[in-house]
Amino acid sequence: MEKGADMAGASANNSSDFVRKLYKMLEEPSYEHIVKWGEGGESFVVLENEKFTKSILPKHFKHSNFASFVRQLNKYDFHKVRQNNEDNTPSIYGNNAWEFKHPEFQASKKDSLDNIRRKAPAARKPAQAQEDQFAPNHHIELINSQLMATQTQLQHLSERYQDLANGHVLLLKQVVDLQRFVKNHDGVMHSVMGFLHGVDAQTRRNSRIGGPFANGVNPGVDPMSNDASVDDHPASPLQQASDLLDQFSTENLPNKDLEQMTHDYQFRNDYSTPPTDHGASMAPHSEGSSAHLAFQIGNDLDNMVYPVGHTNGIDPINSEHINNIPYALPPNGMLPVNPMPELVPEVSPVSGRKRSVMEPIWGMTKPMVLLVEDDKMCAKIGSKFLQAYECGVETARDGLEAVNKINSGSNQYDLILMDIIMPNLDGVSATVCIREIRPDIPIVAMTSNIRQDDIDMYFRYGMNDVLPKPFTKEGMLKSLQKHLAQFMKGAPQFPNAPPMPHPSGFPVQNPSHPALGLNMAQLTAGPQLKEDPGSGKSPATATSWHSPNQIPGQSPVGPPPPGFMPPHMRENPYNMAPPHPHPQAGYPAPPNQPLGPPRPAPQQHRRVMSDMTGGPPEEHPDAKRQRMFPPPNGGYPQ
Amino acid sequence: MPDTHEEERSEEGSVGLPDLGDSIDALTFEQILEMDDEDNDDREFSKSIVFGFFEQAEQTFDQMDEALEKKDLPELSSLGHFLKGSSATLGLTKVKDSCEKIQHYGQQKDEAGTKDEPDKQICLDKIKDILVVVKEQYEEVEKVLRRFYAEPSS
Repeated sequence: MEKGADMAGASANNSSDFVRKLYKMLEEPSYEHIVKWGEGGESFVVLENEKFTKSILPKHFKHSNFASFVRQLNKYDFHKVRQNNEDNTPSIYGNNAWEFKHPEFQASKKDSLDNIRRKAPAARKPAQAQEDQFAPNHHIELINSQLMATQTQLQHLSERYQDLANGHVLLLKQVVDLQRFVKNHDGVMHSVMGFLHGVDAQTRRNSRIGGPFANGVNPGVDPMSNDASVDDHPASPLQQASDLLDQFSTENLPNKDLEQMTHDYQFRNDYSTPPTDHGASMAPHSEGSSAHLAFQIGNDLDNMVYPVGHTNGIDPINSEHINNIPYALPPNGMLPVNPMPELVPEVSPVSGRKRSVMEPIWGMTKPMVLLVEDDKMCAKIGSKFLQAYECGVETARDGLEAVNKINSGSNQYDLILMDIIMPNLDGVSATVCIREIRPDIPIVAMTSNIRQDDIDMYFRYGMNDVLPKPFTKEGMLKSLQKHLAQFMKGAPQFPNAPPMPHPSGFPVQNPSHPALGLNMAQLTAGPQLKEDPGSGKSPATATSWHSPNQIPGQSPVGPPPPGFMPPHMRENPYNMAPPHPHPQAGYPAPPNQPLGPPRPAPQQHRRVMSDMTGGPPEEHPDAKRQRMFPPPNGGYPQ
Repeated sequence: MPDTHEEERSEEGSVGLPDLGDSIDALTFEQILEMDDEDNDDREFSKSIVFGFFEQAEQTFDQMDEALEKKDLPELSSLGHFLKGSSATLGLTKVKDSCEKIQHYGQQKDEAGTKDEPDKQICLDKIKDILVVVKEQYEEVEKVLRRFYAEPSS
């Protein structure tokens, strides 16, 4: 048996090996009496079983087991030719002869030997078939499991998304509430300011008629004269309070993005509640979003399946592959028109300008800037920069033209960039005039005269900011972003809001924060001073800002050039910022501070302001009182 | 955000620019050049600005001479201020500094504009000297700039 197994193994290597050996054996004439071709050559006969087994089998098949030989023959589909026992005639080859036959095994057809094949084991074929079938089943199972995993993952993601969304909505609600609060406060502040302005104007009118300083400052004589502009101003403390309010409002601006996000969020959820209704809308809002979410998932199931099938290689459990799944993860298609702001691709507008076009920073509405500049060159460059920032630009050659433009269409501009020294009407005087019509429009002084006392004056007369000359693109952009934040991409568009949100510096008026006014002022002044391009013009700027004692050193003697606003206000403005009745707490005003030539106008202002703030006069420090009533004709240079 | 963007632009812009000399502040001037259309090699915009400045400067110098003759210090200060603005916008540092001095002396202050200079004649003399210097400085930058714009888009 063992040898038979060997042989079977050997013959398995070449299916016809056994057959060829058999054929070769039969060709040997010396075996004729033991094994030979049968009659007709269609079979072969083993005549002498014993001799065959002992002498021939070992020689040709390396074993001596006749049964094994027969089994081998059977494997090759040889069949023993049955002896016809019926007639009881002995086989023609003798009684002990074994005759085997295969249709293809013939003495004359050696070529057909190759057709004799070992029979394939019956058990093996079905096994293989089963294996082939198993593969698709397995794949389907795999895909199914992947699908399940992906769906689970998606479920988790959507749950997390919803959690985040709910948190987001809550946060936004809070922010918007806060902003609304600030806005209301702001409105209150502005009504107060408006009232104070009215009172102030009346007081000024009265004092102009009968005041003790009327001789020195006759506003009617020369409209170009600086005195006129001085006297026409609202009280400087008032102005300063306005400025501080303005400044604070710009500090608030980053929050506008959040507000815009709320809007976007609402849009995306197809929830068209007006923004004033956040509180009421919250609950249904969340429900709505979740409903959308569920719907979205159910709807997208097909979309989910196919990509998974195609990306067979990824492990759906491993979340880092989630980005490879080629369908959009967040169901942001609820309202496809309003994508999240951060998803908006930064597409530069196609335009004639190339390098000169900056990244678009504005939303739907582009701001309109009035550039007031007497120097044609500066005006040209300034316009070009503004256009590069996609602002609408109009220019005015001097303050007079600017005032006329504002008069003719006061609401068409959103920001004024104002040169200071100009023929006909200087920028500061123009600002005062414009403030009568547009109390809220941001006016940015655009000048190289950025000494501290100059800046003080600009702010006092209603300007909101300073853009030092020569202006840089960066400086201009910062100024635009600061004062036109409501136009910026992502800023909310309140239908009823004025173009420039009212300043909202509520803490400024809070008597319990005496230092805040000063801090705010530092905030406003700090950046501009830093932007001083180092002209060497204002070496004492940084220090003099906080120390009023240095200021007298800067007081001029000679008459100012024509058209040039003399720096009227030598005093540090924070001495006269009395919104808080305890200036000495936050600001170390020296009682006997040398103030340079005192002027009537500021004195009036102080008195007016103290009246207006309604604070009891006795709360004002003595230092303030002293400055309030200085010698009327004390060295007034003009 | 835009800041870094701007810086990149500036660096980009500085490549390939000819040396404009130390009397021109490259960064400021490049700002003007950046406003030129990129696909328009003749630098139309900045050229118009620069040549407009030439005209303006020469005119202002004439007016300064005139005002000096009339000993009109306020006018001199005003003219100095005027030219200071445009030269500063182009980054013509030296011219700008001189104009600033004229502006200050015209206000009867010292060079830096911090102390008073009550003597009118001193102020006029100083301005006279500065006027000579500033014209030289102007001619220098004019030469550089004219060369710059003569070379087509170097």
